[in-house]
Amino acid sequence: MHTKSWHSVGPTLDECIKCNICTSYCPVAAVTDLFPGPKYAGPQAQRFRENGQPQTPDYSVDYCSGCRVCNEVCPSGVKIAELNARARAQIVAEKGLPLRNRLLGRNETLGKVGQIAPRLANFGLQNPVSRVLAEKVMGIAREAPLPHFSVEGTFGDWFKNSQARRLKSEKKVVYYHGCATMYYEPFVGKAAVAVFEHNGYEVIVPPQNCCGLPLLSNGEFDEAAKYHRNNVDKMLVYAQAGMDIIGTSTSCTLTLKEEAPELLDAHDENATTLKMATWDIFEWLRERHEAGELKTDFQQLEMVLPYHAPCQYRAHRIGKPALEILSLIPGVDVRESHARCCGIAGTYGYKAEKYQIGMDVGAELFEFVREQGSDVTMTACDSETCRWQMEHGTDLPSRHPIEFLAAAYGLYDLEKRQLTNE
Amino acid sequence: MADLLVIGAGLSGLTAAYTAAKAGLQVKVIAKGLGALHWSAGTVDVLGYLPGDKRPVQQPLAAINVLPDGHPYKLSDTSAALEAFQALTQTSGLGYGRAANNENWLLPSPVGAARPTFLAPQAQQAGSLRSDAPMVIVGFHGLRDFYPQLIAENLTKQGHQARAEFLPLELLTSRHDSNTIQLAMGLEDAKRRQKLGQALKKLVKSGERIGLPAVLGLDDHTQVWSELQSQAGAPLFEIPTLPPSVPGTRLFRALRHELELIGVRVEAGMEVTEAQASSGTPAKVQWVASETSARPLKHRSQAYLLATGGILGGGFSSNVNGRVWETIFQLPLTVPQKRPDWFRASFLDPQGHPVFQGGVAVGPDFRPIDEAGQPIFANLYAAGGVLAHCDPILERSLEGTAVASGTAAAQAVIESLKVTA
Repeated sequence: MHTKSWHSVGPTLDECIKCNICTSYCPVAAVTDLFPGPKYAGPQAQRFRENGQPQTPDYSVDYCSGCRVCNEVCPSGVKIAELNARARAQIVAEKGLPLRNRLLGRNETLGKVGQIAPRLANFGLQNPVSRVLAEKVMGIAREAPLPHFSVEGTFGDWFKNSQARRLKSEKKVVYYHGCATMYYEPFVGKAAVAVFEHNGYEVIVPPQNCCGLPLLSNGEFDEAAKYHRNNVDKMLVYAQAGMDIIGTSTSCTLTLKEEAPELLDAHDENATTLKMATWDIFEWLRERHEAGELKTDFQQLEMVLPYHAPCQYRAHRIGKPALEILSLIPGVDVRESHARCCGIAGTYGYKAEKYQIGMDVGAELFEFVREQGSDVTMTACDSETCRWQMEHGTDLPSRHPIEFLAAAYGLYDLEKRQLTNE
Repeated sequence: MADLLVIGAGLSGLTAAYTAAKAGLQVKVIAKGLGALHWSAGTVDVLGYLPGDKRPVQQPLAAINVLPDGHPYKLSDTSAALEAFQALTQTSGLGYGRAANNENWLLPSPVGAARPTFLAPQAQQAGSLRSDAPMVIVGFHGLRDFYPQLIAENLTKQGHQARAEFLPLELLTSRHDSNTIQLAMGLEDAKRRQKLGQALKKLVKSGERIGLPAVLGLDDHTQVWSELQSQAGAPLFEIPTLPPSVPGTRLFRALRHELELIGVRVEAGMEVTEAQASSGTPAKVQWVASETSARPLKHRSQAYLLATGGILGGGFSSNVNGRVWETIFQLPLTVPQKRPDWFRASFLDPQGHPVFQGGVAVGPDFRPIDEAGQPIFANLYAAGGVLAHCDPILERSLEGTAVASGTAAAQAVIESLKVTA
């Protein structure tokens, strides 16, 4: 019954020594026994999914949030989160998918539809009556922190309309904005463009699609594969020309680098070329800094800044470059969160039956932020859904680290979330 | 560029990182995963047995003298390293202490054997088998990994007074299923703790001490333990469980916290897969690279410490024919390279097994050496489970060698950087 082969993940199964470190660190198993933990849902249950056995042994794998903390702490290199993602896809292939999960998986379509009339869409998304309805009819939690559509046009509109002001340079980078920057938070993209240009890089924004992660995490692998192929087709030429493809959404860049090739068995030359050209923006900025090429003409920013590296960021296995770069800004006292997960995990915490689990998972992060004292006015996190969840859980505004960097260059207003010259 | 890159987040790596950072070095720790300490009983075993001798060692610091040359203890100031470790863990409230007269503690193991260890956290000390006080070993119905009857029975066979009792698991958790770490976090809830304290008070007889599975809190452990003890009205001690082990996990968290306070970050999920060295004699490590979601990530440092553990910790790999190799630098190993030579015939042979006795041979400054005794890399050091000329399993010396060699290797790095500066 497998729609995809297990070959790239399966061999790691035999590395499991059943030490249970994954279960000890699993943020979901810690707050609910609806999920028995990574070891049980992953390597143990996997034995019963392989070799043509008739059906999945355990539907509780659907309660895995996909945060990948298990992979991070495993001393034996077992790809537990990927085992779980594949198991979920198998369930979807066997049993189909509720409308809600189909919707939540289609970030790009939702964005396009919402942008037809963003104020109306925001009214629909944010008013209590429609939220109760959405919960009753579709199972989208009424309290969950859904995003706001940008009412000042998309990032794409801004980039097109500001062409005359854009820097032209021999040095070029390709910017992968992802759906959140495109439709909800164009200011993150503007901050990124400002930082690139301040460092002398011309920014190219090619046509692009959703990375496919929401579909992957909801188990719709075939649909995700279409998006991934489109992205490879549209951006390959830049990768082949040796340009870096840089994203501000850390889950998108992780998907282009690893999740899509891994889960979809897309290991062909073109997909690999794109993978190897893709960077998280702070991973790329750290490389520039280590080569002595990053401008450090920073203004003082006096602030205590709790920083949470999201799960998807830690899954890159590149350390915490955003923390390293933000620490260069004079006056910024960055406090590193060791919380495992904010609880939203992409679309997980939006689902009515999982909303409270998500909030309980996030409690240690919200508590960490509170512990940093009353001087804290903002938090920082690289992932959009996590920022929305952190705002929901702490009542403090949350920003992408690139917004702080742009502000430190004097190019960006952190309060208004707009470029200073616009 | 860092001064010292530590590869491995076990006890040796963390101890070395702390020692070096305390001396002012820029230190970074990277690790494939979080391992070794989460499996450990949370005690520091220094020397429990000598090869060929079935009696436990009484005075481990004195017995070090009879170990062979080349043993990591022979290259370290073990006593000073252990004192530094005790000082380091003081602030964490874990209260690592020695038995009287620098003797080994004898503490009940999860099967009720007498386990010789040198430094015991405060909450395990009341389990000392040198005391005649009777024990009640309390388990919980449905809790895997802890069997009070087995423990009590084995203790009784060894001449101790011990009996077993069970309490309902609902005292600890409302969940259907929990592991020990989750139970430990659950007991940080004062109400739950109080119920357990009352239940313990009911079942303990006058003059008894109470042995419990090691689940008495994680970050608030000291408070959980001392409150329960006063509520129960009897001395209370923890017995380590099967992994994941709460006392070991506490120690990891305490060390990581202390490191963070002096500016050292521990990055997990970074497996070193490549190393580059310059030519020259000895060669110099220029960088190591860890695996990421796309391209390898290079880490550059003045000095490098290999603290990846031995054949159990993951620092060595092997194949079915018995070839064993060190995974990062391909350092020469003293481990037998043919499968039949790995083990002696008897599982419990008092001489131990050769495969666990080999490792990376180092010189007096903890740099790995070749057959001629010359350092292989000018700036590479090794500590902990990777080291040769010791048998941590047979000797019960795993944590002791980690602390002693981690401290000594860091001191060697500090010295070498002083010279080059």
